[in-house]
Amino acid sequence: MNDFSDIENDLQKLRPTQPSPVLFKRIDEALAKHRSAPVAADTRRNWRHLLETPYNWGFALAAAAVLVLFAAISLERRQEHGENVTQVSSAPETTHSVPATPNGSEIARTEPLNKFVPAGATQVVYNTRDEGLQFTNASAQPVRRLRYHSRQTWQWRNPTTGASLRVSYPSEEVVLIPVSGQ
Amino acid sequence: MENIASHEDWKRCFCEIAPGLLLFARQWVHSAADAEDIVQEAFVKFWRRNHKIDNRALLYSAVRSIALDFIRRNSRRARREASAFEETDFSEPQFEIEDETQRALAGAIDGLPREQREVLVMKIWNELTFAEIAGALGISQNTAASRYRYALAALKKMLQPQ
Repeated sequence: MNDFSDIENDLQKLRPTQPSPVLFKRIDEALAKHRSAPVAADTRRNWRHLLETPYNWGFALAAAAVLVLFAAISLERRQEHGENVTQVSSAPETTHSVPATPNGSEIARTEPLNKFVPAGATQVVYNTRDEGLQFTNASAQPVRRLRYHSRQTWQWRNPTTGASLRVSYPSEEVVLIPVSGQ
Repeated sequence: MENIASHEDWKRCFCEIAPGLLLFARQWVHSAADAEDIVQEAFVKFWRRNHKIDNRALLYSAVRSIALDFIRRNSRRARREASAFEETDFSEPQFEIEDETQRALAGAIDGLPREQREVLVMKIWNELTFAEIAGALGISQNTAASRYRYALAALKKMLQPQ
């Protein structure tokens, strides 16, 4: 029986100070400066390593599901866009009173330029911490608290211009699993 | 194309381990700026030597080695800093303190012998296994585990109400 669990819990609650943003910038610059180093094989191994635990597989499957969802939405939007184009092109033929001006057709052409469609989403769990048994809200049944640290990345793409936008941010998730007293 | 993606992975990896690495480096240097220099040098060196990204023992070993070199190079300055710290009791915080209990705990950690403190930092805030700690410090796993237990016992004793 570990009689240091209390102090270990207290220590884990203590968070180290964050490095300054300058350090991240310097690392970024240093890595960019020496891009020729063949490091791809190692990182591929690392991502495989992240998928070794069942929890990480769960997140990977969730990420894949989000990706499929985005693909479906993207397809739907493309179909809608196709219908719009048909309507715009047929309007001058049927309505002779409104001449097709160069400006009007320009607007119709430039509208999709601002459209970004979802292109991908990933969630990489890089740390899973078991914070032990807890009693929440005066409950008699203990729960096991698991804390996941992950990084989520979302990508959008403009199909017309080929431009892409990527947002990446860290996230933290706490999961409480009821523990039976048996 | 592949190299660009892998560099992104290295950057992400660094973002994730940076707070723990910095805390580890600060076991040797008081100044956060010096610790950041050490961490940067170690991480870039580790990356350039094409080590596996998950070989954490080697990365921490590199930080330790560069920190010790830094102390040797700047021994006069380090002594001057150390005496300034003793006189003014002013140092940049190593933890984000939320309450008085945490302040007391952080103070108690500072009071630990260095060999116990470094094992504690590697185990708690960097989540290394005893095997990895042993590899990084060049000691046996049993010694690493013993130092960890001694550190916890010492902290418990220091924080006991009088």
